[in-house]
Amino acid sequence: MNTEISEGDALWSDLLLRIIAELRDLFERSRESLDAATVEDFNRLFRAAANLETLLQEPVAGTGNHHDQMNALAALRGYAEMLREDIDHQAQDLDEALARLLKAIRMADANPGHGGTIGKPVIAAEPGFILAVDDLQENRELVARYLSRSGHLVVTAASGEEALRTLADADVDVVLLDLMMPEMDGREVLRRIKEHPDWRATPVIVISGSQDMEGIIACIEAGADDYLLKPFNPVLLQARIKAGIERKRWHDREEQYRQQLERNQKFIRATFGRYLSDEIVTDILERPEGLELGGDLREVTIMMSDIRGFTTMSEHLAPAQVVTMLNRYLGAMTDIIMASNGTIDEFIGDAILAVFGAPQHRDDDADRAVRCALAMQAAMADVNRQNAAEGLPELAMGIALNTGTVIAGNIGSERRSKYGFVGHPMNVTSRIEDHCLGGEILISDSTRQQLRGDYTLTNQRDLNVRGIDQSVTTYTIRGRADD
Amino acid sequence: MTEQRPILLVEDNELNREMLTRRLMRAGLRVIVAVNGEEALALMTSAHPALVLMDMNLPVMDGWTACDHARKDAALRDIPIIALTAHAMDADRRNALAAGCDDYATKPIDFPELLAKIERLKRP
Repeated sequence: MNTEISEGDALWSDLLLRIIAELRDLFERSRESLDAATVEDFNRLFRAAANLETLLQEPVAGTGNHHDQMNALAALRGYAEMLREDIDHQAQDLDEALARLLKAIRMADANPGHGGTIGKPVIAAEPGFILAVDDLQENRELVARYLSRSGHLVVTAASGEEALRTLADADVDVVLLDLMMPEMDGREVLRRIKEHPDWRATPVIVISGSQDMEGIIACIEAGADDYLLKPFNPVLLQARIKAGIERKRWHDREEQYRQQLERNQKFIRATFGRYLSDEIVTDILERPEGLELGGDLREVTIMMSDIRGFTTMSEHLAPAQVVTMLNRYLGAMTDIIMASNGTIDEFIGDAILAVFGAPQHRDDDADRAVRCALAMQAAMADVNRQNAAEGLPELAMGIALNTGTVIAGNIGSERRSKYGFVGHPMNVTSRIEDHCLGGEILISDSTRQQLRGDYTLTNQRDLNVRGIDQSVTTYTIRGRADD
Repeated sequence: MTEQRPILLVEDNELNREMLTRRLMRAGLRVIVAVNGEEALALMTSAHPALVLMDMNLPVMDGWTACDHARKDAALRDIPIIALTAHAMDADRRNALAAGCDDYATKPIDFPELLAKIERLKRP
């Protein structure tokens, strides 16, 4: 066991022998003032100390040596305690030296095996919350004593059931688990810990006798992180606890990070999933800086579409027919807008409000909006074919596109908010839409200026828009120039 | 206090035997001593001790064997035995209890605790 202790660690034996040497000095100096019986008891104490010293110098050999060591320690302790009873308080320095000796003996006792260390924590570890599970009270106390000394917080459990209850109540960093327990044994406790989603990552150090190597191997296979053999070396115990705590801390940090990420992603998906294409959502999620959700100014191309005469038309239809027709139409359009990476802001009856350029700006926002509008008009043929097959009226859609700077952000109250857009260009788009004929796509001059591709534009005109002093120049777009 | 039945201390280590004898006597107990298992069995038969404090690691006949014998002997079966072991190991404690000891104390002995155990177990 000695070899497992790093250099510089004070062995309890060293300290003990040093204290005995001090005691002997004191005794020699005050010998004259002591009565014969006391002197005799001191002599016996020093004989026991000499025995111990001899034993400690022997190469460690089996339990016989250990037994003799314990006998020597027992005699030392017994005489020291008797002497403290006998010495009157005038020999205060002797009394104090005896008290120090007894303390050293208690430490030696708390460190079974030849080479225990004592004193200050040997292995500095971040303090942890340790659960020590052992059916024997002495063992629990022993472990608690070792680990408390290093600043760890130790809770003990006398049974597997108690251990599981503690795990449920507290955030345990490391479990120190005795394998041999009545009723629920260590292996069962280990199994339950490793099965539990919240406890799985808690490091478990199993403790068993050296004759139970098979049990230990089975436990490591079952997820135990480390093991100790009884009687364990306190230095090894400290080292393994330290490693366990570090492992737990790493895991906690990782878990915290993962949860944060998951929360963010959930939030973003919940906020945008319904009106953004998967591609944009994934794009946002993959941007390391995340998405600023505060309102900000964006230059966007706004699309507004509606069905000409829909309100009048729907008055002549059964409600179920209206819904069927709307859903078919909106479904087809939604697919196209999403495919063009547009952001659907809302449906207002038969009208669709969509935006290109928010939450993410792209250089081809206006072009995508125009191509999207063309694809939507083209898709109307198919929508109408289906309508005709069911005896439903033919639909004609108008689409208005306008480009301008709007405020984009989460708009509303805490209880109800949505990612939306506010600004004058939104209203202008709506006014342009009012002028659209069925099957027509009207774009404003501001959109035209953003276009990179060539399109066939006709019918330039200045619209007088309600509520706006200036007129708005618009064009009818017929298609791509190369079509 | 007169005619108090003695405590039998079985301990081969002279310093410990002497020390424990004196401490037990100071605590007001009568003490007789044996240095090995054979002597212990003989004294258990002849002196009818109130209780036996038995070191388990003894020459000639060790404590385990002596305990085993005592437990098989109808006359000695009821004499309480406290094992004195040098090992703070579960195995030792379990073995001591399995060998028929009523309790155990680990060396170096916590004397007040030992006295409490003696008081609890010793026969009148």
